[in-house]
Amino acid sequence: MRARALALSILSSAAVLTVGWQLGTQGQTSTAPDAAAPTTADSVTSDPTATATSRGGSTPSAAATPAPTPTATNGSVSAAAPASDGASGTFTGTSVQTRFGAVQVQLTVANGNITDVTALQLTDKDQRSVSISNRAAPVLRKEVLAAQSANVQGVSGATYTSDAYLSSLQSALDQAGH
Amino acid sequence: MVDPVDRTRRIRGRRRMRAADAMIALVWASVAAAVALWLGYGGLSTVSNLGTDLTAAGIVTGLVGTDLILVMLVLAARIPAIDRVVGQDTAMAFHRRLGKPALYLILSHGALLTVGYAMADGSNVVTETISLFQGPDMAIAYLGLGLLIAVVVTSVVAVRRRFSYEAWHLIHLLSYAAVLVALPHQLSAGGVLADGSVQRVYWIALYVLAFGAIAVFRFAVPALRSARHGIRVAGVEQVAPGVVSIHLTGRDLDRLQTAGGQYAIWRFWTGATWWHAHPISFSAVPTASSARLTVRDLGSGSAAISRVRPGTRVSIEGPYGVFTEAHRVAPKLAVVAAGIGITPIRSMLEHSTLRPGEATVLLRGSDPSQSYLWNEVGTLRSMRGNAIFSMLGPRPHGLATWMSVEALAHGVTIGTVFPDLLNSDLYVCGPQSWADLVIRDARAAGLPEDQIHVERFDW
Repeated sequence: MRARALALSILSSAAVLTVGWQLGTQGQTSTAPDAAAPTTADSVTSDPTATATSRGGSTPSAAATPAPTPTATNGSVSAAAPASDGASGTFTGTSVQTRFGAVQVQLTVANGNITDVTALQLTDKDQRSVSISNRAAPVLRKEVLAAQSANVQGVSGATYTSDAYLSSLQSALDQAGH
Repeated sequence: MVDPVDRTRRIRGRRRMRAADAMIALVWASVAAAVALWLGYGGLSTVSNLGTDLTAAGIVTGLVGTDLILVMLVLAARIPAIDRVVGQDTAMAFHRRLGKPALYLILSHGALLTVGYAMADGSNVVTETISLFQGPDMAIAYLGLGLLIAVVVTSVVAVRRRFSYEAWHLIHLLSYAAVLVALPHQLSAGGVLADGSVQRVYWIALYVLAFGAIAVFRFAVPALRSARHGIRVAGVEQVAPGVVSIHLTGRDLDRLQTAGGQYAIWRFWTGATWWHAHPISFSAVPTASSARLTVRDLGSGSAAISRVRPGTRVSIEGPYGVFTEAHRVAPKLAVVAAGIGITPIRSMLEHSTLRPGEATVLLRGSDPSQSYLWNEVGTLRSMRGNAIFSMLGPRPHGLATWMSVEALAHGVTIGTVFPDLLNSDLYVCGPQSWADLVIRDARAAGLPEDQIHVERFDW
């Protein structure tokens, strides 16, 4: 009778695991083309393996920003007034690439004062990065609003996110002539 | 021609066996489900180098360890279906066996993730631990780990003996806290159980199931039952030196549906005894208005309850146990009882329907003072036409046997006492080490496991 319990356990566990594994691999084949699409559209890749290998790390940045070049893309200025002293408007920082995903912030300035910082994109390579980002972003925003500059302390345990956030913010501040 | 009673027993036995096998399979399937859900959400796609390998292993050990802890809670919840099929003592034996593996898995979870994250961040283990500690809900998760270590360490047999039952039990209750304070970090920091995923719903359901079972079967049902039956002590009667029968009265006690041979966990509400719950067997099948327990003062707690006064309020958890006629599988019945072990044997025999010649009962005591309730067994209606033997006298020194010196000298064996043993259900109740020797002899004689029924008195 113990043998039957063992057989039953092995069979049911194997069945459950197989279903899970199948779902896991299916999920990837269905999401991989979506994620790879912007990459192939923007930058022509001669290497056919590039799409297959890119599914883990570059997925978030590829989906969210049109140009996945690792170095800074010039942010677009959607402000009514051009950058000058006492400027007002919204300035988008450069997208800063980290090993945990891209970070990009949007800055709102009114009469030369930093009134808001919105994260357009945060490190999101995996769920842990997401949870770290979600913890760090509000802290960084508060610090920046208090200091009125990008010259603030990063959040410990979120070094990559902090550095990228502040560097994207700095580029936006530069545009604003802050 | 097959006797219909025998056939019913065999069918019931097979059904129970199937249910037990299904329960075991369910436990392992739940472990598999924990891993499968992780795989289903693309767990393997995160693996690319040594650091991510360690991280993935850390996630899986955490999931499996948590699953096992929830299984342990379910096993300890005294769910009636589990008690009916395998008995609460078997369930608790399984619970104990899972304790250490679960702790090792949770420890590995912490260690593997710390190292894995440290490698990914290019930092060292100390820095990573500090940074993890600052993560959401992580401080209380570490607290949970500390509590879990305390619970398992105090439950290791050698350490457990140093504590009184109450102290040990109090520490053991911390495991509820350990599991609960670990929950927030699984839902926030643990990216695996992300918002809106099936995985999150599944895990929350498991938690609700485990804690719900405990709340219902360990707290709500006993409280309601105690209130409903209003049990009080009617009188305490000394039946032998250090042995008392406690007579109880209450409302509709027959509605407890106690089977002969079962026990309940009793709490006597006096200033000196309320904090100690005692597992005690019914020594008679309850009637509508009365029940009887017989207890020997083995510990300081049992000595105190032999002094409880009539009118004392009593609360009940139970009845529990599979030392009953319902669990028989064979046509004949062989019974061995020693000392206070007579109590469940007596009520089990009282509750049994026996044909003449079906049962053979051996009553064992080291001296005549241990022959309490023996005469009652002789006058049971079910015992008519069935043989009762007694074996009095101490066991020989330096020899591992359950028999008396005299019986041994006369060449008595388990086979001579029960000539039809292999065709019988063997019911054994007595001190643990003594009962183990009876079972050893029965196994040596070739008695299958499902025909061996034993009631254990240790906690």
